[in-house]
Amino acid sequence: MSSAQDERRAGFERYKEDVENEGKPFFPYAMFHDTVMSLVVVSVIVGLACVWYFTADGTEPGLIGPHYVEEADPGTTSFIPRPDWYFYFLFYLLRIFKWPESVVLGTVGVPTILMILMFALPFLDRSRERRLLRRPVAVVAAVLTAVSMGVLTYKGATARESLGSEAVAAVDAWSSQQGGFDETQRSGAEVFAQVGCLQCHIYLGSGSANVGAPELSDYGSTTQRTIEQTAAYIRNPAEFGNTVMPPFPGLEDAGVLDDVAQFLHASSGATGDG
Amino acid sequence: MVETKGPTGPPHGPAPSLWPLGFAIGLTVALVGLVLGSWSTVAVGAVLLLAFGFVWARDVATGHGAPPVVDEPLAPGPESARHTVPLRSDRDADALPVMEDEEIETYPRSAFLSLSTLGLGGVITGIVAAPVTVFAVGPAFVGQGEEEVDIGPLDDYPEGNFIVATFLARPDEGEVSRRTAYVRNNGVVDGRPSLTILSNRCVHLGCPVQVNGLSLEGQKKTVEVPEGPTVELTPTEAASGFGCPCHGGQYDTEGNRTAGPPVRALDRFRYKIRDGRVILTSSYSVGEVDGQGAEAVIKAYDLAMPSVHVDGPEAILYPFEPPH
Amino acid sequence: MATTAPRRRRRQSKLQQAVDIPLDWLEERSGLVGATKYFLFRKVPRDSSWWHTLGSATLTAFLVQAGTGLILAFYYKPDPDKAYESIQHITNDLTLGWLVRGMHRWGASVFIILMFFHMARVFLFGAYKYPRELNWIVGVLILVTGMLEGFTGYLLPWDQTSYWATVVGININASAPFLGPFIAQFLRGGAEIGTDTLSRFYALHMLAVPGALFGLIGLHLYLVIRLGVSSPPWSSEGAGRDRAEVKPTGRAGLTRGRRV
Repeated sequence: MSSAQDERRAGFERYKEDVENEGKPFFPYAMFHDTVMSLVVVSVIVGLACVWYFTADGTEPGLIGPHYVEEADPGTTSFIPRPDWYFYFLFYLLRIFKWPESVVLGTVGVPTILMILMFALPFLDRSRERRLLRRPVAVVAAVLTAVSMGVLTYKGATARESLGSEAVAAVDAWSSQQGGFDETQRSGAEVFAQVGCLQCHIYLGSGSANVGAPELSDYGSTTQRTIEQTAAYIRNPAEFGNTVMPPFPGLEDAGVLDDVAQFLHASSGATGDG
Repeated sequence: MVETKGPTGPPHGPAPSLWPLGFAIGLTVALVGLVLGSWSTVAVGAVLLLAFGFVWARDVATGHGAPPVVDEPLAPGPESARHTVPLRSDRDADALPVMEDEEIETYPRSAFLSLSTLGLGGVITGIVAAPVTVFAVGPAFVGQGEEEVDIGPLDDYPEGNFIVATFLARPDEGEVSRRTAYVRNNGVVDGRPSLTILSNRCVHLGCPVQVNGLSLEGQKKTVEVPEGPTVELTPTEAASGFGCPCHGGQYDTEGNRTAGPPVRALDRFRYKIRDGRVILTSSYSVGEVDGQGAEAVIKAYDLAMPSVHVDGPEAILYPFEPPH
Repeated sequence: MATTAPRRRRRQSKLQQAVDIPLDWLEERSGLVGATKYFLFRKVPRDSSWWHTLGSATLTAFLVQAGTGLILAFYYKPDPDKAYESIQHITNDLTLGWLVRGMHRWGASVFIILMFFHMARVFLFGAYKYPRELNWIVGVLILVTGMLEGFTGYLLPWDQTSYWATVVGININASAPFLGPFIAQFLRGGAEIGTDTLSRFYALHMLAVPGALFGLIGLHLYLVIRLGVSSPPWSSEGAGRDRAEVKPTGRAGLTRGRRV
């Protein structure tokens, strides 16, 4: 213990001597690099501000987002919150912890552990070795951290959510990609877009995959069920052993259940001009 | 210090004198009298001004004269100065040996001083910090209670389907208190109308949940309420439940969690019917709902924040809930 | 010819005096000139390079935030009824308001990215090791405080995104066992996001958190100057290198086997 400490102290004394004897003055040699880098930083900031301002228009997003979205409406029923990009990892983490018992792990548990690890790093790794190839644990930890943060941030950034009104607007595009819907299928598609299917299912790039629900873009070409069976499944998935998907008896009452089944069976993946 | 050395000071240093002070007081009194418009005060001030001005001028004119301070009972300046100046320089000169000699003797005194310095500092910090902290934290924890909110006539809530009602929970606070509830009229039970009124805040992390059904925007209507702005009602059809777009929580038509991360059922509003109008009185949290509509058995709890377990083993993690 | 040279020299010495006198005055009373000279002309390892510019780049981004934020505060109104309008006013009507707001908005992202890059550099260099442990901890505190600054600032435009992201963010705090609901209630200034929440976040964003950041950054810089920066670990002329050890071969590290 004490000999390791002595070694560290000797190393630092040597460092100070080396800097004194071989070092270069901070100004201007190192500061020149600093200044160039700061110029780059400021240029990037101004550049981003310009790209942001000149490509967007009010609430219309440009290349990197709108100037602002609609004013806050605490009573809204049709808005999907997003954090700023540097919280995407946390945002996606919350989707991963999708069981009530584990919510606290995603919200507080994992971030707290990460923070403790960061604070404790200099005490966990006390060796004098600084060369990367001789620090295998550090390298593995760094790669793991970078990859997982990167993946979570990427997944958070590309996670899509469904908004009834937006999905309805996409029905035309679905129709052309699936080779054209007839009237019944079209009505079914509009119902499908609004009743919340896209909160868990993905359909041609709309919606988000949640709680293990399958993508439905090519349901018609892959399913073994008949249209009637599909309708029965949607009415009450529990009959088919699926207790995760909610039952939709209301669709039958409103007389649109069959339309939705017709629409799903007309879906064979993107075969049209999409 | 230079002036207090009196006659032994540098040649141009003026002798200590209180006359300028009297002169200044006279000037002040005269000016105050002018501002107040009181001529007698001006006169008193002017007399003081002239008298002190005269003696001051005389002293200056006679080359600082004999120090008048001797006549002044109120001038301790030269006396103490003559003593302190040499004393101070004495101490400066042999500061080190004196300290060494008296080290043991002075130690208890410096302990006392350092303790009392720290103590006084703590007292000052406390005097400032205590009210500020209480003010920073306190107002947040004063339960504000809930106001009764009129959300329109019962006739506007036809039986069967959920109606989306948006209203101001506190009309005096404005749009920031706008809330949305899903209201379903379950019909008349035992002579009294029965309503299911669910909050649209997801109990996972508070996102707005949406109806898994057809929202009939075309049939939206606004209802006038006696106090505050209008209430908007949007009928829905074929609702199979509710879903949260943020993290995929799913609820059935009674607000029970069916999938995803929500920790309990959707919060509900208590209500009463007054003169045929629906009045929301307060809200509460729900562990679980058994049964449907009017027959539902609701495990009610005090209103809790989203993500807080109200029942089950995890509830032990949240023993306290701040007041609402 | 003979007369111009002394005249020029005299003029030069006068100029020199004009510079020296106020500097000497300042130095005698504060010692600041000496401190600045020490800061500027202190020695750094000869192999310090572009890798070492990430810290000062982060500082630059922070100063951009401080400057633009102060000016935005001239025009911004932290009131739920007015905040959104004042943001529109700044962006659309005021001269160059869009640029200052844009710089503040994107500068925040750049600041956070640079903190991560800087942290990664320090990690890869092993620069958090003795005697720089404390400075790593201060750096982590700066990162956390910086992200807190991002969180409190995100609400201020009072648009849908900012409102609902804040709802979720506060409820994430509420989910912490035992004290979570109290932290959430403190942040909101009540049971719901109400009229006081925005001014609360504004005060934190404008004064409390940046104040803490200034203090922490000052401490961070003090420690950097006191302890110096680490040479790249692969450098063959790194300050404090082990002399006894044999010259590292190609496999002994990410070496650059130029010269010993």
